Amino acid sequence: MMRMKCRRYLRLYRVIISQFFKIILQSRVDFFMGLFGFFFSQILGIAFLYLVFEQIPSLQGWTLDQLIFIYGFAQIPRGIDHLFTDNIWMVAWRFVVNGEFDRYMLRPMNILFQIISEKLQPDALGELLVGILLVTRSMIKGIVITDALHTVLFFVSILAGALIYTSIKTFFAALAFWLKVSGPFLQVAYETANFAKYPTEIYAKGIRFMITWVIPFAFVAYLPASFFLKAGGSPVVIGMECGIAAVFCCIAYFVFERGTHVYESAGN
Amino acid sequence: MKRRIKAYLPFTINELKRQMAYKGAFYLFILVKMFGAFINYYLWMAIYGSTNQNTLGGLTQGEMVIYIFMAYLTGTIVTVSVSNWVSEDVVQGTVAMNLIKPIDYRMSLISRASGDMIYQFLVPSVFIWIGLEIYRAAVPGLPPFSAEKVLFYLVSTVLSFLIYVLFDFCFGMIAFFTTYIFGLMMVKQALIAFLTGQLIPISFFPEAVQRVFDFLPFSSMVYTPVMIYLGKYTGNKLFFMLLRQAAWVVLLYLFGSLIWRKVTKRLVILGG
Amino acid sequence: MIEVSHVTKDFVMPKKYPGLRGAIKGLFSNEKTVKRAVDDISFQIGQGEIVGYIGSNGAGKSTTIKIMTGILSPSDGTCFVAGIDPNRRRKENAQNIGVVFGQRTQLWWDLPLSESFTILKEIYNVSDQAYREQMEFLNQVLELSAFFDKPVRTLSLGQRMRADLGAALLHNPKVLYLDEPTIGLDLVVKDNIRRAIREINEKYKTTVVLTTHDIGDIEELCSRIIIIDEGKKIYDGSLEALKDTYGTKRTLSLEVKQIQKASGFSPAEILGVREEECITELDFENSLLKITFDGHKLQAPQILSTVMNEIEITDIQLKETELAEIVKEIYRHGTEGE
Repeated sequence: MMRMKCRRYLRLYRVIISQFFKIILQSRVDFFMGLFGFFFSQILGIAFLYLVFEQIPSLQGWTLDQLIFIYGFAQIPRGIDHLFTDNIWMVAWRFVVNGEFDRYMLRPMNILFQIISEKLQPDALGELLVGILLVTRSMIKGIVITDALHTVLFFVSILAGALIYTSIKTFFAALAFWLKVSGPFLQVAYETANFAKYPTEIYAKGIRFMITWVIPFAFVAYLPASFFLKAGGSPVVIGMECGIAAVFCCIAYFVFERGTHVYESAGN
Repeated sequence: MKRRIKAYLPFTINELKRQMAYKGAFYLFILVKMFGAFINYYLWMAIYGSTNQNTLGGLTQGEMVIYIFMAYLTGTIVTVSVSNWVSEDVVQGTVAMNLIKPIDYRMSLISRASGDMIYQFLVPSVFIWIGLEIYRAAVPGLPPFSAEKVLFYLVSTVLSFLIYVLFDFCFGMIAFFTTYIFGLMMVKQALIAFLTGQLIPISFFPEAVQRVFDFLPFSSMVYTPVMIYLGKYTGNKLFFMLLRQAAWVVLLYLFGSLIWRKVTKRLVILGG
Repeated sequence: MIEVSHVTKDFVMPKKYPGLRGAIKGLFSNEKTVKRAVDDISFQIGQGEIVGYIGSNGAGKSTTIKIMTGILSPSDGTCFVAGIDPNRRRKENAQNIGVVFGQRTQLWWDLPLSESFTILKEIYNVSDQAYREQMEFLNQVLELSAFFDKPVRTLSLGQRMRADLGAALLHNPKVLYLDEPTIGLDLVVKDNIRRAIREINEKYKTTVVLTTHDIGDIEELCSRIIIIDEGKKIYDGSLEALKDTYGTKRTLSLEVKQIQKASGFSPAEILGVREEECITELDFENSLLKITFDGHKLQAPQILSTVMNEIEITDIQLKETELAEIVKEIYRHGTEGE
């Protein structure tokens, strides 16, 4: 029963996504421009670091190469989430306030699944590309630990990180069921991720606490990245990342589910 | 002249009103934008903490704090995204309608952008500015408040605004040739933040690169007014910098007219 | 098939104050206003019925439909569709129903229509065989094949409505909800859509609930109508009964040779009925004498002969009150005395 259900969902996902591939392929120029846009703006972030390190040998004990790894590593879970679940933004900005959400309520499938499966965001490949390039660069330079344990945990961490991103996005988008539009809040939450592109020690205590425990982007980027950089680090960090991913997932899904019950369709 | 101003004033006022209407969301967006300034602030504090030198790129730590927030503030005032409006108009097909009216499309956009600029200046910027002045008074080693500098800063910022808007108008013309300028807008935004000095003072770039920048309009958009505010340009240098900004205004204006003429000809032929 | 009992729906909104000072006050105050969109409504609809659900704008039609489809949860009361509470068991209910919202498409805007159907086939878990059969039938009644490969955004309103109707019927639902299915369509397309709805109802005994402002939809499709106003049910019964009860007024329109002669003429007096049971109006411009009378009390020939005794007539027209008029009348007064 369960297996049949899973297979049905997977089959549907494949059908929908293949349709959107067709659309993307039809508008190749748009696709490359979007990809290039994201790629380019990330690359400028790296250029910034280069300019700064012309002036200083290291930043609170971190070398340029290490910072570049952290920066690149942060892009991968972000890119994965961006690629697969971009449609959640629409809940925050549009679907609830103008009643388009109705149509998901009318179909005999999981609502969140319907929303996520409706769109792939190819622009995200720009972020992923930057991330993969920078991580590869760091591996060639030999500054990351690549034993079996770290390699496995690398992939675990990326998945957990993407899940944390998705959960935070879902949570803030679900506020739209009460507020009608929650886009600005989601945007604020999403942008806090930028804090975690750099070592969190540089921030004031309040901000550090905020991005570690309240909107835990530090667990998506800086904290796991430093585990892969420094020998002797405890894998507990990755364990905590997974724990946070699980907890946030449950909270976000619960809030979203509650939200669908208080949803007041527009047009009254 | 008076009649002309009268014709464009409604664009300015409407935009002001429109901005007022969205105040809730607006404050959150300021917060989002402020994140960037705060990340920058902490990063630079860490950078100054990692070196024995007193100045980096010609700026002391105190000056850098002022630079970061002043560059943020100037950036928000100056970079009003006219190209967004152009692409909206192109998508909705209202450009052709604008050609019928007895007004200049570009002037109407600039007027509308002025409304935006005034609002951005009044609502968040003034408060940040006051905060910075208090900081300036409290931290020793910073030059004292000077009305003259503030005046020159304001003049320079208005020129910056014109440079940016005229530049962005030219950029917006791309919308006539491709339906999807979202990707390009991202590139533009990232480049603007980088090349205008919002992210890092131009003085951090290698000498050779700085020479190249002298021949581009970008440093005139943010870097110049902020440096004037910091008192880094005086006497002849200050005069030269303002003159250079004015030159860019004229150049970009002429360039924009040229492109606009080409585009409207095309519009007439193809039917917008 | 559908059992709605004592359903009430309240919308709670923060109280708004006027002006800038009001906006600031609104930020801090916690006062709420409650708007009751649906007020203690009950009805039952059997299998195979086509029911017209009508009311003026904001009467609560859409809210009721949304409760029955599982989009909204009722504040009070219960609702069962084919034995399932749509709000608690949304997915099971969704499998049983098909919905068309006239003003909003459920299809994928950028995809060709054919691909939308492929996706819907998966969503509703329709077997290959059932899909083939159903598509054949839908093609026959809705003529989808003419635009089956075009992207949805390029379809005309009429085509899109047919496509939406087809999409709602692909999984052969037990209940079909139609919210303004003919809005904005021209007469020919309206007719096609109505015929399709009838055929589907006849073939599958599909229960149809239909909201509309178009009285033609009701006259041609519905055997029963439910009227609601300000959230309350004010009429539930057959179309004939409604016409019988409220549609008894008839109008006799007479073109006369010399309209001046008709002034001061009162058939009510002559026939010995009260003034309001037989109202006379004069239209000098068109030389028309209009007599509106109660069909239960008087017969047309009676009045005609009274008139012809006095005035020379050149043309005669007899009009029944239209349903639209009746409905308008009911909104205006409610159904006092029922």
